[in-house]
Amino acid sequence: MEKATVFNIQRFSIYDGPGIRTSVFLKGCNLRCLWCHNPESISPQRQLGFYPEKCIGCGNCFRACPEGAHIAAPDGHTIDRTKCVSCGKCANDCFAEALTMLGEETTSEEVVRAVLTDRGYYERSGGGVTFTGGECMLKPDFIRECAALLSAEGISVAVDTAGNVPFESFEKVLPYADLFLYDVKAADPDLHRRLTGVGNERILENLKRLASLGKRLIVRYPFIPPYNDGEAEAIASLLAPLPVELVEIMPYHHLGEGKYRPLGMENRAAEARVPSDDALEAAVTAFAHRGIPARRT
Amino acid sequence: MNEERVVLSALYADRIASLHESKIAMNDVKRRLNRVHDSDDWGFVVFEDFHYEPPKFRESGELYGGLEIAKALRKWLHDMPPYVHKDSALGGAWVDIIQNHLRIGLRPEDDVSPEIRACWAKYNTSPGFMGMNHCGPDMQIGLDLGWGGLLAKIRHYRAKLSPADTSFYDMEEETVLGIQTYVENVAAEAERMAGLETDENAKKNLLEIAAMNRYLVSAPPRTMREACQFLAHFQSVDRTYFSGGALSQLDELLRPYYEKDVRAGILSDEEAVWYLASLFFNDTHYSQIAGLIPDGSRDMTSRLSFLILDALHYLHIPINVALRVSDKVNPTLLRRSLEYTLEDGSGVDYSCNVGVEEGYARNGYPIELGRLRAKVGCNWVALPGIEYPLQDVTRCNMAMAFQEALKDMQETKNFDLEYLFERTCHHIRIIVDSIKAGYDKHYEAVGKYRPELVLNLFMHGPIERGLNASQGVDIVDFNIDGIALATVADSFGALEQRIVREKRMSFEEFFEIMNRNYEGREDVRLMMANIKRFGSPDSPSEKWALRLRDFYVKTCKESGTPKHNLPIIPGMFSHGDIYIHGRKLKATPNGRRDYEPISHSNEPDPGFARGIDTFSPTLKSNAVALAAPGYGNSAPLHLDIDTEMLEKAGGIDALAALIHTHNHMGGTLINLNCLSRKVLLEAHADPSTHPDLVVRVTGYSAFFSSLTREYRQQVVDRFLSRENR
Ligand code: SF4
Ligand code: SF4
Repeated sequence: MEKATVFNIQRFSIYDGPGIRTSVFLKGCNLRCLWCHNPESISPQRQLGFYPEKCIGCGNCFRACPEGAHIAAPDGHTIDRTKCVSCGKCANDCFAEALTMLGEETTSEEVVRAVLTDRGYYERSGGGVTFTGGECMLKPDFIRECAALLSAEGISVAVDTAGNVPFESFEKVLPYADLFLYDVKAADPDLHRRLTGVGNERILENLKRLASLGKRLIVRYPFIPPYNDGEAEAIASLLAPLPVELVEIMPYHHLGEGKYRPLGMENRAAEARVPSDDALEAAVTAFAHRGIPARRT
Repeated sequence: MNEERVVLSALYADRIASLHESKIAMNDVKRRLNRVHDSDDWGFVVFEDFHYEPPKFRESGELYGGLEIAKALRKWLHDMPPYVHKDSALGGAWVDIIQNHLRIGLRPEDDVSPEIRACWAKYNTSPGFMGMNHCGPDMQIGLDLGWGGLLAKIRHYRAKLSPADTSFYDMEEETVLGIQTYVENVAAEAERMAGLETDENAKKNLLEIAAMNRYLVSAPPRTMREACQFLAHFQSVDRTYFSGGALSQLDELLRPYYEKDVRAGILSDEEAVWYLASLFFNDTHYSQIAGLIPDGSRDMTSRLSFLILDALHYLHIPINVALRVSDKVNPTLLRRSLEYTLEDGSGVDYSCNVGVEEGYARNGYPIELGRLRAKVGCNWVALPGIEYPLQDVTRCNMAMAFQEALKDMQETKNFDLEYLFERTCHHIRIIVDSIKAGYDKHYEAVGKYRPELVLNLFMHGPIERGLNASQGVDIVDFNIDGIALATVADSFGALEQRIVREKRMSFEEFFEIMNRNYEGREDVRLMMANIKRFGSPDSPSEKWALRLRDFYVKTCKESGTPKHNLPIIPGMFSHGDIYIHGRKLKATPNGRRDYEPISHSNEPDPGFARGIDTFSPTLKSNAVALAAPGYGNSAPLHLDIDTEMLEKAGGIDALAALIHTHNHMGGTLINLNCLSRKVLLEAHADPSTHPDLVVRVTGYSAFFSSLTREYRQQVVDRFLSRENR
């Protein structure tokens, strides 16, 4: 049975595809978007999160850590990330939840069992389950197993992906996935590389192939001034020949910013800002002009 | 059917806006005078210099028997200042609850034994003994007869039965005579105001109110406006007398009048909305719209159901209307209600046919009867006119039973969770048995000491049989609400996980810390609190919650009351009284400190979700449905959902699907708020910043500003629990 590291199961999710859905977030990503709002999704491993504001100073973590990674410094309690092996022992003893392990190794059967509790909501809303991340398509065998079990139960499956994987990975899940939520972050390959660390050639190629197979496609365009807000026109012309059902323009928000420090990570998107309503409307119009239905989320 | 929203012309928009403003102003007065406490607004109007002197029957000033109380009520109705608002379509308002001004005696032979009283005190039980006003009236009786017809009916049956003691009929006669005086006084007040009024529209309105009330003193209503006026007077008198609050199926009651008036060309939809807004301005009595007809073949949504939603929206004050949900409910009506809730923050609540109707049928009643069982109170349901269900007045605090069981465990040093469970059940049984014994006494005595003077008029049986509603209707059953389910279940879950399985410390070590209220051991308190709590997937508490529920239900249902064998129907509803029920409860193993509130009804505690599972309305909905008692009485679900989350496309459909699914899982009632974090926190910090904010506390809605800090905190906790995770 396949396993994956899941960091969140969010029920009553109405953002990730139609109807009431459960979004299953997998850890691990092969893009490095500057503005990533789920930094906990980047590493494929379980990670220790530290929220010092919740710490009650009980000292359990110091006793529990076999690596001596917890350090009582004069300016407060810190973690030496170079020593931490993510064993989770300190988090297990931190009852204040100042330390928590992000990510749980989970089997496909466990995921399916967890999401089936909400089947009534999917059925009555035209919803289902969405696999997301991170880049969930880095675990195509896991997704395939989950999606096959869910399809057998008559539950719709969506896959939220940035598409930077070999097309063979898509082929594994194609029989069971009804819908792809497909990120397009920039049309210009150089800009894409600067913003995400990789070029977009494979991503766009995969998108075209998926489209040619007649799969339902919703394209998601994260709209992050000043990085890629000028790309609307270019993305629209790229998408114009493709049978894209909808483009969702997803404005930058600040919610991810607080997630970096607990992980000992650096937020590299210092300049990112929330776009204005006018800018979003202009982007919607750019798609509409080319006959592509678009809306801001 | 026309399903459009009514667009108001300036005249009616202004009138309804004026009613809204008056209500806000009145609420300020009530707050200043400390006359609102954690209740809904109710419709009373403050007359600061009104003074009432009850009739004196004996030196002590005490009243004994229904007739003396009825005379006191009649005098009150005569004395109370009449109220008319020039922008309302209807006259009248109530001014205070009469029992605040009466001393009603209870003879020792009709009281329960001292042993039972001691038991209630020990377990902090709300016994429901002498509880009142918890049956649903069939208002059709009154609409058909009018006050004059009701009076004639009383006299007819008094003559027909000619009982040796006519005091039952005499007291009902006094009541109706008092009401007629009150209606006359309202007419006179409207005439007086019309004489002073300079605005032509207002003057015309006041004269119409006067004429309508003169007519309604004895005759039954003919038009929709008159029917609303009749209902408003009922509301005012029902509140005055022991704060009753049940109306009934409002859309169906008014539909014939509406249709007749429209056919006759004397009524427009905006006038109808104004009448309804005026009725809601008068009082927050509980009513329902939509729902299945008894054979289940269709939903009874009509144009009136839509107009009621419009009235509720335009008036935007606390109103207690329930929309009865079934698979066949009109989808546009459901959507409209949700659109209004999103716009207004709160709106109707949702009564679920599977839990309420099919659940009731499990008691052995036909499902056709179950379909009549509508939500008529804050969180309670009844068969209008034919059932005496006494819901929502009785609480079996399971956490108090558990507290005694913890003592047993520590005394015997039998540190086995099965033993603890057995002792918890033992004490729960003691509480349930004491309530049952109290109900026998209640059944015998309540009609003597606290007769349903007003509701008897609107029930089938009491007048015909000469018996108080408690004995005079066809179906008598008694509710007991089990409360603090999650408090107890999470305590078991925490002991099982931390002490038994993980062996973090011994039972004795733990109890020593808990008995000292976790002082100096916040780590241990958090260790117990931060488990996967009831409601969270894979929670160790879930199986304990279900075992407790099962035992509780079985204990309630396995036998009726000891003397009269009156059937018991279990519910699980705590009202907002989770603070009161925590006040005698020491620290518990779920990390709850001394005297902190208990959990709500059978709901998970705020912040229950852990690990990779984050809070979701569906998790809460699943847990409440899973642990429902299942026999038709309420175990409500409270949902406070972030408006921002729902404003996006598909948000309303998602809510509708959530409601339908909760219904299908066996839910009974959904109380919904759509709030924004910003508004809620501002209003919590300083209620005067948002005097208009209406929230659904539980089955009733209230101005947020009229709630005490503790009650406001409940709403805030529920809302923020989503973000805490
Ligand atoms: S175990 Fe948690 S609460 Fe205790 S000192 Fe460590 S971080 Fe703080
Ligand atoms: S996760 Fe393991 S290695 Fe890392 S700090 Fe905690 S106990 Fe030490």
